[in-house]
Amino acid sequence: MLAVHDNSPLAQTVLAQLKLDYPSLKIVNFAPQDVNQLLSEGNVLLVILEYQSTQYEQFKMLVKQHRKAVETDYPSDVLLITDTEAGFVGLLDESEKLFVDGLIWPEPSGLLKTRLAMLSQLQLLRIELAQTRHSLAWHATRIDREHQLVEHIFRNALSRNFLDYNHIRTYLTPVSKFNGDLCLVAPGPIGNVYVFMADFTGHGLAPATGALPLSQAFFAMADRGVSVAEMVTEFNFRLNRLLPDDMFCAGFLLEISANGERVTYWNGGMPPAILFNDKGEVIERLSAQHMALGVLDEDDFDSRVTTFRASHDQHIALYTDGVIELLGHQLEFLGIDSLEQLLRRFPKSDDFQRLVAELEHFRGTQPLHDDLSLAILACQPTGLDDIPVPTEDGAMPFQLLVDLEVEHIRELDPVNHVLTAIGSLPGLRRHRTTLYLLLAEAYNNALEHGLLALDSSLKDSSDGFAEYYQQRSLRLRELSKGKISIAVRFDATSRQLEFTVTDSGKGWAAEDYEQRSNKASHGRGLDLLRQLTTQLRWTQSGRQVSFTYSL
Amino acid sequence: MALHRQFSNDGKELIIAIKGKFDFNLVQEFRQAYSDVGDQRPTVFIDLRETEYLDSSALGMLLNMRKSLGKSVRAIHIINCRPEVRSILDISRFDKLFTIE
Repeated sequence: MLAVHDNSPLAQTVLAQLKLDYPSLKIVNFAPQDVNQLLSEGNVLLVILEYQSTQYEQFKMLVKQHRKAVETDYPSDVLLITDTEAGFVGLLDESEKLFVDGLIWPEPSGLLKTRLAMLSQLQLLRIELAQTRHSLAWHATRIDREHQLVEHIFRNALSRNFLDYNHIRTYLTPVSKFNGDLCLVAPGPIGNVYVFMADFTGHGLAPATGALPLSQAFFAMADRGVSVAEMVTEFNFRLNRLLPDDMFCAGFLLEISANGERVTYWNGGMPPAILFNDKGEVIERLSAQHMALGVLDEDDFDSRVTTFRASHDQHIALYTDGVIELLGHQLEFLGIDSLEQLLRRFPKSDDFQRLVAELEHFRGTQPLHDDLSLAILACQPTGLDDIPVPTEDGAMPFQLLVDLEVEHIRELDPVNHVLTAIGSLPGLRRHRTTLYLLLAEAYNNALEHGLLALDSSLKDSSDGFAEYYQQRSLRLRELSKGKISIAVRFDATSRQLEFTVTDSGKGWAAEDYEQRSNKASHGRGLDLLRQLTTQLRWTQSGRQVSFTYSL
Repeated sequence: MALHRQFSNDGKELIIAIKGKFDFNLVQEFRQAYSDVGDQRPTVFIDLRETEYLDSSALGMLLNMRKSLGKSVRAIHIINCRPEVRSILDISRFDKLFTIE
């Protein structure tokens, strides 16, 4: 747009010429007081203004005000054209740079056009720059927000990480906000503790993403207390499916038993963990025997573990290659020998901070170039196996009566069903292993001797043992008549369970079993019943057994 | 898979893990698991970490294993027992016949 405040014939001629060259150019007459409106429209290129001091000063003031209002330090997109040199000089003296340029009026229309083209180009560039800056700012905010979200997810995913475990010391330093190393610690259900250290290829957000499914699997399986071999098989399976071909994950999984003496580990592609003792003697390097996780298919994956017995003065240092490839201030790698030297100097758990200080001193001001993780586990009893079991209160009295006909006996697994029914009732959950044993012994006794008339002496030899169970399954399939009933009554006040199992067989002489030697492969079941229950008795010529179990 | 059998990396340990229920349904599979221990005299580890239930047939199977392996293995350890499983083994005096950890 061209704003004109000049009605002279000369101006009219130039403008007419301009209009011919730029048919889209809008030319308006304006009074200086209109300048605010013009500038807000944002597309003013040129203002032609007769230099009359009052109008000129007024115009300048208005431009200044406008500039203040829109908070910019950039000169308005205005090429000011005045009709005297005085105005032009005044413009050049202007320290505030109100306008991008100035001209003295009248001006040859060719020059005016060049100026106009330049100004137009400049304006386009400015708009583009502003848009780019805006878009960059938007992306930066977005990435910030996304990082916050991911951080939040990581925090939650790793919130269970048991790094506070008494007998482990860790030094975990990622290069960037997200760690491509993983150091996970979780207690198992039998007082054992798992430690998993892993190193994804690369560092930053991408590898850290792989850590999410891995840590979820780790914690879930640690809760269940699964074996090291099974855990790494699952990790490999997941990562093999998830990761692109050029990405994998070196991993070291270790389990220490509740007494701190039995260590089982699997090392896939990690640097050798170092077993050393309080005196600073390096005992063994626990080297990798397998490929990293996420490389091999299920069929080729090797989950074999190594186990050893540790004594209580021993420690295991687990670390990622970021530690031995730590670049020192003289641009040399730390190396595994130097790490062992450090462990010799600082072997005790209490030395850990000094060990870390040495590492940091070695590094000096060198920037990290890989994530760095070091964990030292002391082979101590975990102290996690005697956590008091919360007492379940609110036991509920009940009676359960199950009458099984021959087809149920043949086709169902009644012990399992009864256990499922009562094993989850309040107060009984903790006892379900024992309840299973009691039910299984009483039921199998009724079935095998009462209905199937199997001879237990078969079980005395190893082959006979298998033979016995073959016959059991054969005879069970052919069983055509017979009944077994199971009655369970729970007295919530005395917290006693009474079991009665009755069969329709010929009965048997329970007292024969009293004579059996303890080493026989049979008769053990009755021994267990006798020791775990009270008031054990056979009635109806051995067809009915009843006993009481106190919670 | 209720039973998992694996040698350690150095072949000196045979680990047999039983999941869920350890009872006569595993008779054949369990025998199979220790039928070939090689000639390195490995130590056998019966890992009961995930064994939730067992009955007297399981105890019989363990005794049979002990009898049948004799001196072809260094020792038989029963490891990672849950407390209730442990107390059943203790009542049966298995601690006298096996190393229970």
